[in-house]
Amino acid sequence: MSNPITSIKLVLLGEAAVGKSSIVLRFVSNDFSENKEPTIGAAFLTQRVNINDHTVKFEIWDTAGQERFASLAPMYYRNAQAALVVYDVTKPQSFIKARHWVKELHEQANKNIIIALVGNKVDILEENEEERKVEREEAEKLADEEGLLFFETSAKTGTNISEVFLGIGEKIPLKGLENEHANGGLNVTEDQRVNLANTANASENASACSC
Amino acid sequence: MSFFSSIRQKAPFLERIAESFTPTMSRDEKFRLQYKLPNEEHIVDDTNTDITFTTPYGPHRKDEKRINDNGAQVTYVFSGKLFLTPHFLVFRDAFDQNSCVLILNISTIKRVERSPSQSYAFALLVTLYSGTQLLIQFIGLRNRSEQFCEKLKEMLKHNIPNAKRLPEFVESCYSDFLIQKNILRKKDIIAPKAGLGQHFKYPGQPDISKEKAKLRLWFEYYKENGENLAIIQNHTFQKLVRIGVPSRMRGEIWELCSGSMYLRFANPGEYGRLLEDNKGKTSQAIDEIEKDLKRSLPEYSAYQAPQGIQRLRNVLTAYSWKNPDVGYCQAMNIVCAGLLIYMSEEQAFWCLSNLCDIYAPGYYSKTMYGTLLDQRVFEAFVEDRMPVLNDYIVEHDIQLSVVSLPWFLSLFYTSMPLEYAVRIMDIFFMNGPKTLFQVALAVLKVNGDDILQADDDGMFIAIVKHYFQTLHESAHPDSPDSKYRQITKFQELLVTAFKEFSVITEDMVIHERNKYKKTIFENIETFVKKTQLRRMPKTFILSDKELSNIYDVFYQSVETHKISLGTGSSNMTFDVFVQFMGKFCDWAKPSRDDNDQVYKTQKQTFLRKLFNNWDSSKLGELTVNDVVLGLDRMTSPDLLEAMNYFFSLYDEDNDGQLQKDDVLQMSEGLLFLTTPWKTGKFVDLLTKKAIEDDIADEIVKETSIGQQASGEIELPSGVTIDEEKYKARQSERYLTAASSFLQRCFEYAEPLQLDKEVDLLDLSDDEGKSDEAKQAKKKKFASIVANAALDPTRPTVIDLATFRMVILADETYELFFSTTLRKSIHLEEGADDSGNNQVLKSMFDGIIADGRRVAERVRRRVDSVATNKSRAGSIETSTTTESIHTSETNNKMVDLDDFTTDHLEEHEELLQNSWLDVDETTDQSARQERKIEPMSSSLSEKEQDLIEFEA
Repeated sequence: MSNPITSIKLVLLGEAAVGKSSIVLRFVSNDFSENKEPTIGAAFLTQRVNINDHTVKFEIWDTAGQERFASLAPMYYRNAQAALVVYDVTKPQSFIKARHWVKELHEQANKNIIIALVGNKVDILEENEEERKVEREEAEKLADEEGLLFFETSAKTGTNISEVFLGIGEKIPLKGLENEHANGGLNVTEDQRVNLANTANASENASACSC
Repeated sequence: MSFFSSIRQKAPFLERIAESFTPTMSRDEKFRLQYKLPNEEHIVDDTNTDITFTTPYGPHRKDEKRINDNGAQVTYVFSGKLFLTPHFLVFRDAFDQNSCVLILNISTIKRVERSPSQSYAFALLVTLYSGTQLLIQFIGLRNRSEQFCEKLKEMLKHNIPNAKRLPEFVESCYSDFLIQKNILRKKDIIAPKAGLGQHFKYPGQPDISKEKAKLRLWFEYYKENGENLAIIQNHTFQKLVRIGVPSRMRGEIWELCSGSMYLRFANPGEYGRLLEDNKGKTSQAIDEIEKDLKRSLPEYSAYQAPQGIQRLRNVLTAYSWKNPDVGYCQAMNIVCAGLLIYMSEEQAFWCLSNLCDIYAPGYYSKTMYGTLLDQRVFEAFVEDRMPVLNDYIVEHDIQLSVVSLPWFLSLFYTSMPLEYAVRIMDIFFMNGPKTLFQVALAVLKVNGDDILQADDDGMFIAIVKHYFQTLHESAHPDSPDSKYRQITKFQELLVTAFKEFSVITEDMVIHERNKYKKTIFENIETFVKKTQLRRMPKTFILSDKELSNIYDVFYQSVETHKISLGTGSSNMTFDVFVQFMGKFCDWAKPSRDDNDQVYKTQKQTFLRKLFNNWDSSKLGELTVNDVVLGLDRMTSPDLLEAMNYFFSLYDEDNDGQLQKDDVLQMSEGLLFLTTPWKTGKFVDLLTKKAIEDDIADEIVKETSIGQQASGEIELPSGVTIDEEKYKARQSERYLTAASSFLQRCFEYAEPLQLDKEVDLLDLSDDEGKSDEAKQAKKKKFASIVANAALDPTRPTVIDLATFRMVILADETYELFFSTTLRKSIHLEEGADDSGNNQVLKSMFDGIIADGRRVAERVRRRVDSVATNKSRAGSIETSTTTESIHTSETNNKMVDLDDFTTDHLEEHEELLQNSWLDVDETTDQSARQERKIEPMSSSLSEKEQDLIEFEA
């Protein structure tokens, strides 16, 4: 117990075969495998990393990418503090899906969720830049507008993979988080309620003053 | 997008599935489900019988002879019920309906003869293809028995063609091979096709001698009880399945228990045909299958080899073509890979088919509603059966389905080592869907103590994962009893599942599914709608509520149309589009005018233009997105935008210019669009204003303004509105607009060629109200159209600017594009037929009924008087005091007797001001005059203000 441990529940979302599981595999065991069993529902993995004398334990939910599994996704992003929305830089359709996921997360998930937009498979571009179908600028623009972290990665070569997770780790407040995580989203909604009440009070006061 | 539309499209399909869960399942449905018979089967007749089953081999063997107390040989006679369906004879015993269940395909019958019987009135001796004899002794009235036999005869006739295929089919069954090889001692017979395991080894390390012993047990069973298409299932059968089917036999037993054997027999060659017919075709399902082929039980050696991959590809692809509603769902690859280890491609194909239909209904559908539903059912079982565990899970906010969903979806294949998963499958195919619940409950039960230590989902998963990986270990490693120590965790699991949780019955599962299906379906519907709305293109005008409404009506229209036509697309065809627009737009509503050929053509032409304009894919079908974008543009409140859009409808080549024909079509389009106003069905703002002005004028004229100014304005009953007059005027206005539109178009297109047409200009100014004049005008209008169209020297091109100018030149059309058209599209109400624009008649009724709008109008008129007065200052005060007084006088009326002193002042005031009443009610002209004064005084007042400010 020398290092305080912070748990981060993180969910991976994105179109099928964009490399969600490979990103996790690279991150968790620094490995790559061409043929992985598809994720049924979701796979659960954990990985610990040290960030500035602090141990962060990532609890990773790697979800199934096939579109019909979308109705199961809320089960997995429930209470998640972070999300990786993954697309394939060579598949424009996967970027459209990524937009949808970002939208859904903003509407449905934990309000304080940290989202990282991840364009995977950049190793293909190294061989042939023409393969790129999603422009970096376009993705950066989306990330900018929606307040997302943005990375281009390759799970195959390992490019930028740990940066994604470190980036998220740094964005999440570390102290007192253990308690917060223990009751997950409940705390968050309570916070919101407080906030809402505050603003309501504020406006009431304001109107009272003007009278 | 297309994915969710197709889900949405499946709604009626979902409903059908929902029906199948309802307790009101028909007798035939229940019967089919119980004996896993194909969908065509229904009970033709049934009767009570005693049957005796004698196979040619069984009882002859010495050690198998059943000896009774007296040492005599016994053949068992079972009493029960015999059912006849088009292709089957099904017998079930009356004792526990499990001691002797015979499912006999009629094609296996070789001969039927009457049998002499002493104790029964009527008996049949049925000889089967295999040589087995079946003695059916009828109980009951003779003529009923005769009747049954007649029907049986009929079915036998029908099944003759199938009987010809029987030998070939039977040869594909391993059971037959066993008999042939071991009893008839046939040499050089070829073993039927087997699963991949035959070549790549079956999973686990089967103890060879144990396998052989088990196989021998099955051999003995077949000898005594028949095989494949004519087999009796009794308690021994169930026992043999429970102890684990030997690998080589497994495929056939799965096929038999799941009923897919009957499908394979009934549909010879269909599997091959599906593959052949769809060779080289692509689909989304096929892309998805390709992605997963190498990811299906990859640790099993066959799926690292091309042979295994190819078989998997074939079966999954064939299924996706057979059932496009399901197509392909991840997890099917794993389940199918599991089947193919033990089954041939064709066996696996039919087994997968029955698995998706009966065993895991809706699990793999596009919404996966079956998966969600069974998770809910499972939760309910846990709640009910394991309250302590359930409380703990709830308390720690652990989501059960996170753990259990993959169990159900992949039938434990991804959770347990293969050798154990297939054992579960043995029982699953025999006992049905309840098996999954029983095993899942047992997993929780066995691990209960550990789970009660878990803090979160992650720990929960870890516990269960570890458990599944150690299934081969002893369940009681520390027990002093060595026998006890030998019990593996897997055995313990089976005992827990099928003893302790035998209380979970098939009926309970159906009942629970029934209970939650509505909520689940609603949730899915909401989810799909929400997702689809979220993914709609950005709209500028339409509100969320309108979008939601458009969405509902879109699918309502598409679906009602589809049900009536039986077609499959979830997109909107032109016919549906016409109906759809009729629900939202005043001018597109079905009406009597539709019978009018000219009107009908106009309507079709205009709607077709709109349809083509919205059809982004140019496939002749609109998606919900097309419709949303189209309506969004159409309802733009911006006048210029509205005009531009209308212009673009006719400028199909997008060159910014309209040809003569385009202009004529546009004019026709406008005529069509404005029909509801032209015919006086609706009133536009101009008419409304005119009516209200007129009424207001009348009121102002007739009633005392002083009294009306502050109180409720009541419509004097004497006011009558000449409905016809306004109708006629409006109609006039629209006709005029139409004619001058066309005229101006041609006029401004090429101003040089005005000459002789000038005299037509005055048409627009002509306010002739007689019918003759109208008729004449119509004629003239027609001639203009004709001339313009025919005269080759006419100018033919107008651009957008000219078009806008022409529209803006006419008050009616300007209003039409700025307001009338937009207001005639009622996206909030959708299906309702009444809009903001009320039918003229009801509008008049409305005016009379509450008079509020008119009152408002009157008040505004009066207000304009009052405001002026107020600016004059002094008069305003006097009116206010006066009004207070009026009300107080009213109060006085109530307590007239109360002359207490505190009212004295008021009396005095009353006295003082009473003259005002008189003045205001009688002297209207004086008031009118006063109205004129204020302008100047208000000015002076303003000036005063200014001065004060400066000071």
